[in-house]
Amino acid sequence: MTITATSFDWVRELVHRESAIVLQPGKEYLVEARLLPIARQMGMADVGKLVDTVRQRPDPDSTRRIVEALTTNETSWFRDGDPFTTLTSTVLPALQASRGPHERLQIWSAACSSGQEPYTIAMLLEDALPGAAARVSITATDISREMVQRTKAGRFSQLEVNRGLPAPMLVRHFTRAGSEWEVSPALRRMVTASTCNLAAPLPRMGPFDVVYLRNVLIYFDLPTKQSILRRVRELMRPDGWLFLGAAETTLGVDDSWERVVLGRSSAYRPLKGA
Amino acid sequence: MYQEQWLFSAPADTGERRRRSDAAPLLAELLDEATVQGIADEAWLALVGEAEVLVPLPGEPVTDPISSWVEIVGPWNGAVVLTCDRTTAEELARCLLREHAPDVLDPEDVDDALGELANVIGGNVKAVLPGPSVLGLPAVGAAPAPGGPTDTCRIDVLWRGRPLTVSVQGPAGA
Amino acid sequence: MRALVIDDSRAMRRIVSGILEGFGYEVRQAGHGREGLDVLEQGWVPDLACVDWNMPVMDGLQFVSAVRANPAWRQVTIMMVTSESEHTQIVRALAAGAHEYVIKPFTADAIRDKLALLGLLPEGASL
Repeated sequence: MTITATSFDWVRELVHRESAIVLQPGKEYLVEARLLPIARQMGMADVGKLVDTVRQRPDPDSTRRIVEALTTNETSWFRDGDPFTTLTSTVLPALQASRGPHERLQIWSAACSSGQEPYTIAMLLEDALPGAAARVSITATDISREMVQRTKAGRFSQLEVNRGLPAPMLVRHFTRAGSEWEVSPALRRMVTASTCNLAAPLPRMGPFDVVYLRNVLIYFDLPTKQSILRRVRELMRPDGWLFLGAAETTLGVDDSWERVVLGRSSAYRPLKGA
Repeated sequence: MYQEQWLFSAPADTGERRRRSDAAPLLAELLDEATVQGIADEAWLALVGEAEVLVPLPGEPVTDPISSWVEIVGPWNGAVVLTCDRTTAEELARCLLREHAPDVLDPEDVDDALGELANVIGGNVKAVLPGPSVLGLPAVGAAPAPGGPTDTCRIDVLWRGRPLTVSVQGPAGA
Repeated sequence: MRALVIDDSRAMRRIVSGILEGFGYEVRQAGHGREGLDVLEQGWVPDLACVDWNMPVMDGLQFVSAVRANPAWRQVTIMMVTSESEHTQIVRALAAGAHEYVIKPFTADAIRDKLALLGLLPEGASL
């Protein structure tokens, strides 16, 4: 056991702050088991060293990797529900009204992790929009090359498909591939995955009609949040829609967005003339 | 056996020997040790505990063995067998029951928990194999020793330092 | 909210019941489909039935068909909780009238997510 009580408390607070998930006391072994691979990848001997390093010099990438390692298998399809259900109930009808019938819809999943978010979007649109495969392109990006590879593969374990994916959608859009489940070729064709560091100048992409930038701003300081939101806005259509994580907002960060209440969640739209 | 013909789309003149030799490589392609380990890992993670790992290392032979198994009947016939010693089985039962575990486990609790683990692993093994197949109800007792000539695929692992095996045995009755 | 948990494994019944009780459900248990039907026939009609597939006497699929054949039990939401995990089996269960399907092994979070999808997660139990 290399992790001290202080380090464990720090990890607990971090995970709770960023994910609202509570690590009970006594879960030191879990922290050890999940963080050791990260420590090794970063060239450190043990988890204690990893925690000390990140505490002294916090950086968003390492922080996010730690939180994700401790919340793995926590990634749900339809995470938080409303940002996805409102896509087809509100956002899509609005876009269809203002776009030509042959205009492509471009959607960006900006922190796609292992791919649940872009494929959730793809499933919803394929079910709601006739000819979606030809009309919709979903750009999925993540800072982690490993996550981008997983998204491209479109394969999910039994435990992963159990997390919030409605059974009718599982049977409609997935097939078994050995002990895993594979998303249909039609959905995979809608999704293009690549690496992207949100905190650096962004590649030429878009312009996007809808952006999902969820549970990633929380890892950055205020000036970086502001520059990310500014760069994202530059890649969006003027009447586009931005979805943030449940604990995130543009309010008090960047005043060039208009907040629109949708169900129990909110979307943000670029303010005209901002 | 007619089901086997259906599965492999075997021509009418395919003899018993031919079918057997066709079956073995196909099964090995579908079900290797890594697949069985992956299935067992998920069962442990979800049911036994979120930090419980099966270390893929063979241990000492089990001295006081107890086995649980489920049969698979379909194009491929066989069984998925979980074997460990009794102390390990009791510890597994406690992990499954968590705070609901009684102070003194009765043998039925142990058999039931070990049987359910075989059911969960067996169901997922069945899904990897060609179907349609039927999964039998779990049974507990002395099964054919893992490592016997009927093992199609077997993993030897350590859980909390104690040996445990998962073996896919078959084809039964062939 | 009432839930009926049907599984031939008592360990599994306790696990599923424990999760549902944690969400505030009043839970009854049955060891196979026939016992489950007995509970309904005695007038205890649950909001949710969590049903295993392979069980002695009456299996889960037969239970689903029997519940769906009785209009008085239309309000019962059925969620299969089983190690049967082929694509075709899930299709069969949904066709028979199950609403949701959880593949064993599962975590408590998986049950919570499915209940949220079904609108059967009581307020305040969402985290």
